[in-house]
Amino acid sequence: MSETKERIRRVAEKLFFEEGIGNVRLQQIADETGISVGNLAYHFKNKDALVQVVYDKLFEDFSKILSNYLQLPDLRDFDQLFELLYHFYTKHSFYINNIWEIERSYPDIKKSWSGFNQKIILQIEKRIEYNFQRGVLLSEPYQGTYHHLAESIWININCWIPQQFLQGKKTTLNLYLRAIWNLLIPYLTPKGRMEYETKVPSALQS
Amino acid sequence: MKIGRHFYSDILDHLNRLQFQETPGIERDLLFLSDEFWLQDTAVVEHITKGKGMYWVGLIFVHSNQPLRFLKRVITGYSDHRKASTSAHYMRRQAAKDQRGTLVINPKSLNFNLN
Repeated sequence: MSETKERIRRVAEKLFFEEGIGNVRLQQIADETGISVGNLAYHFKNKDALVQVVYDKLFEDFSKILSNYLQLPDLRDFDQLFELLYHFYTKHSFYINNIWEIERSYPDIKKSWSGFNQKIILQIEKRIEYNFQRGVLLSEPYQGTYHHLAESIWININCWIPQQFLQGKKTTLNLYLRAIWNLLIPYLTPKGRMEYETKVPSALQS
Repeated sequence: MKIGRHFYSDILDHLNRLQFQETPGIERDLLFLSDEFWLQDTAVVEHITKGKGMYWVGLIFVHSNQPLRFLKRVITGYSDHRKASTSAHYMRRQAAKDQRGTLVINPKSLNFNLN
């Protein structure tokens, strides 16, 4: 992507976060980037094309996170995933403010994002399964508990930052990791607790 | 290329399995080789018992030199004694080191003290 295009993308991302996709005009993006609307139109034929590019970057970064599956053979892998997702959401915070706009007006983006969501939930579920096989997680008390746990973890990953923001509370990586780990800790076996306390970086810091 | 949920799930399962396959073995995993080495020289004896309305087929693995060292395993149950006996015969032949049954237990090996 050319330098100007990348600059436009960054400005658009910032404005989408601050004002919402629906409220941002091309003129505004052009002004903020310091170029004419004509120049902007040369790079992006309309706002939809710009929105697509902004989300393409989001998907690209998310794909990198997906490719990190089981890079570490123990509970640190969960910690690494949560940390990567924290940085992802703080970097792409515009996404949170525009969930409903995308839901209503951009069906293709919505479909792609939904595919990524399903993959990450499946990855969390498989990580749980793997750690159960290693003997660090208890067997599930009821059939399907771990599937629901994976979904709950995903909801927390997605919604913890905006929830803190709405309550006027601070968002730090440590608080974020603790909020998500709290869902998993009750299912750890004694061996799992030992591993969590001695190996997982976020547990060692707290 | 887009992949479906099932295919993606299979890939993740495979990656999970790799974590176990690629792990170097530990000494404890192979202890059964030395701990159960004595089973190599055992005579296999058929053992049919009655219980709970069935004939239970069991095999007893007895060390040929030390008969007090033995292991009993109940394999399966039949409602008919003849079936149980036939099954036990073939199971013994499958399990025994010497299929013709030449490996026997010598009662003298029990070394009873009659005092």
